[in-house]
Amino acid sequence: MSNPTTQKTDATEQPPSQTKPQVLEEDDEFEDFPVEDWPQEEAEQTSGSTANGGSEHLWEESWDDDDAAEDFSKQLQEELKKVEASA
Amino acid sequence: MGQTPVLDQFLGSLQELVQKRDGAKVQDFLQLEPPLSEIYQRMVSELQQNYAPGAKAEAELLQRCEPLVPRSKGGSWTAFPTFVKLYLIFLRDMNTDNLLETYNQLKALLNQCVLALGDSQMGVVVLPTVLYLSKVLAKLAMGLDRRPDLIAHIRRMEGLEAQDESVEKVTLVEKSANVVREAFIKCLTDRTGTPGPHGKPEGKRIGIYLMANLCLKLLFQCGKLRNAEQMFASISAQSPPLAYFPASQRVTYLYYLGRYLFANNLFFPAAIALQAAYDQCHRQAISQRHLILSYLIPCNIILGRFPSQALLQRPEAQGLAAHFQPLCRLIVRGDYLTFRQHLFFGSPTAEWFARKGILFTLRNRCEILVWRSFARKVFMYGGSWGGPQAQAQKGPPPVLNLKKLVVATRWLQAQHASPGNAPATANLYGSQLVSEPTDPDYARLEGADGRASPATDQEILEKYGDYLAPDGFYTEEGRSQPNQPGQLVDGDPEDDYDDYELDPYAYDLDDRTPDSSMMQEIESIFASLISQGLMGGYLLHREPRFAVPGAKIKGILPTGFPNVWQTISAREGQDSSVPGWVQPRAPAVGAAGGGRVVNLAGARPVGVQ
Repeated sequence: MSNPTTQKTDATEQPPSQTKPQVLEEDDEFEDFPVEDWPQEEAEQTSGSTANGGSEHLWEESWDDDDAAEDFSKQLQEELKKVEASA
Repeated sequence: MGQTPVLDQFLGSLQELVQKRDGAKVQDFLQLEPPLSEIYQRMVSELQQNYAPGAKAEAELLQRCEPLVPRSKGGSWTAFPTFVKLYLIFLRDMNTDNLLETYNQLKALLNQCVLALGDSQMGVVVLPTVLYLSKVLAKLAMGLDRRPDLIAHIRRMEGLEAQDESVEKVTLVEKSANVVREAFIKCLTDRTGTPGPHGKPEGKRIGIYLMANLCLKLLFQCGKLRNAEQMFASISAQSPPLAYFPASQRVTYLYYLGRYLFANNLFFPAAIALQAAYDQCHRQAISQRHLILSYLIPCNIILGRFPSQALLQRPEAQGLAAHFQPLCRLIVRGDYLTFRQHLFFGSPTAEWFARKGILFTLRNRCEILVWRSFARKVFMYGGSWGGPQAQAQKGPPPVLNLKKLVVATRWLQAQHASPGNAPATANLYGSQLVSEPTDPDYARLEGADGRASPATDQEILEKYGDYLAPDGFYTEEGRSQPNQPGQLVDGDPEDDYDDYELDPYAYDLDDRTPDSSMMQEIESIFASLISQGLMGGYLLHREPRFAVPGAKIKGILPTGFPNVWQTISAREGQDSSVPGWVQPRAPAVGAAGGGRVVNLAGARPVGVQ
């Protein structure tokens, strides 16, 4: 058992009197399903909740930032201009 | 010997169930988790009264269990009576004050049950029992793993604490995984019906993924993922298609398979497996869907796809946006230093990723995406191409002078400069761009010229004098030769060996300046981006530049900085198979005999009678 894990356990276990509720998310165990099998329809998101049916847009493939007015880009532009002027 | 009415009845009914081959009822009969119902408690007292611990009682109990199995012509199923005997002894002796002992007995019980499972005729009857015992054992082992204090006093008493630390400790969880793996193998190698990838889940094969999932859960718990490799290989070779198994088993298996592939840096197949687990998971199983997403999202980020708002707003994604959105923003921004701070081990923002076991993977795999964004922005605002609105025209291709990148990087470093975070320009050893805590072996090389100073020489001699300046040494001919005290055997380290040596470096150390060595690193980063297909173009070295030719069709930016996800998926997506995931075979098409395996086991070599 590696140290960090042991320490973590100690930290949460040692003061039982303190009320530090274990957050549900902390438990990384993949629980058993209460049902053995289900049809695929029960796995899909109900289409009523989304405007464009079941084929919801889950992933962004184009995320490049072309906004020259964004803070970081603006500062970068100024910095590059300074060098050009002095060169 | 006294009367044992409950035990008699128990064995009688068990015998009937075995005869009927009713595995589910057999399992239901073999209760062992406290609190036991009243009838079982009565049986326990009967056992305690009539079969007190000892070899004699064991032999007698075994005798009583022997009639449980039908006597067949092909030898009887002796493993089963032994198993029931162990079960009765387990009930008789169960002592919840000594959970370590309970664990060991339970493991022995499961071991025996797995032996019983091995029988080709009757084994399948105990499959539900094997699964049940495996689950109880796993629960106990994982419980003790989380609360080592429960058995610490026993371990101390038995002197188990003082074990040799050089030997790798095998935890209870790992031991349990090893037993469960045996059961998994018995299920996988069942030869009844049609075995192999063409077969259906019948006989013991219905247990393949039940046992595999339990074993994987234990291996993940004890951090021994490597041990899963053989399991996945065996499944690939021998299992019927996963699609023939119930949804709960498919989803659980694909979740673990995806996480295993992720841990092995196989992000594309990992994303396919995790996405399938997510798509097939019951929509009301929020906790499972949440866990799947916790790995599916980082997997996609590494591949250049970010979670959409719609995904992050789903109920199962609750809490995930807080971790992944800032990360995505940093990748888009291109500030590699803020990115590193964000994922610095020990920083509050990195803690959640560390706990999930994905911190280092994200840090190491996403930084190249940050550099791509940075390079793209410097190209946009500092490249010689007329700005984003410009059309590609005839003439020289758009270029970026890499000096602009040195300027931009220096500016970034200055922005982040603080006493504790000095830019890595203090010496010429190591990187200009990667600021890591100094390796103690190189900590002394701090002089202006980057060489060890005479003061440290003295210190080094004090420490390593017996090696660098010993009292004597052996010559090339193997003769012993005395050495003058303090004389360096290998000569002065500053001696010039240029005439004798090949120079492995492409540059002369004396020509190095902080700017030139940063330029070399930036060229390396660009070369890496280009070779991964994340940038399109070529590098000029003499006057370091990045040029983007052939941008007429797609435009300059899309050519120089192609879409990350499309680039990676086009490269990786050619092979859509996922190792460890058995797919149904498509019906054979085309030429006769294609793909058919001809068994030559019975063929004889030519010329042999």
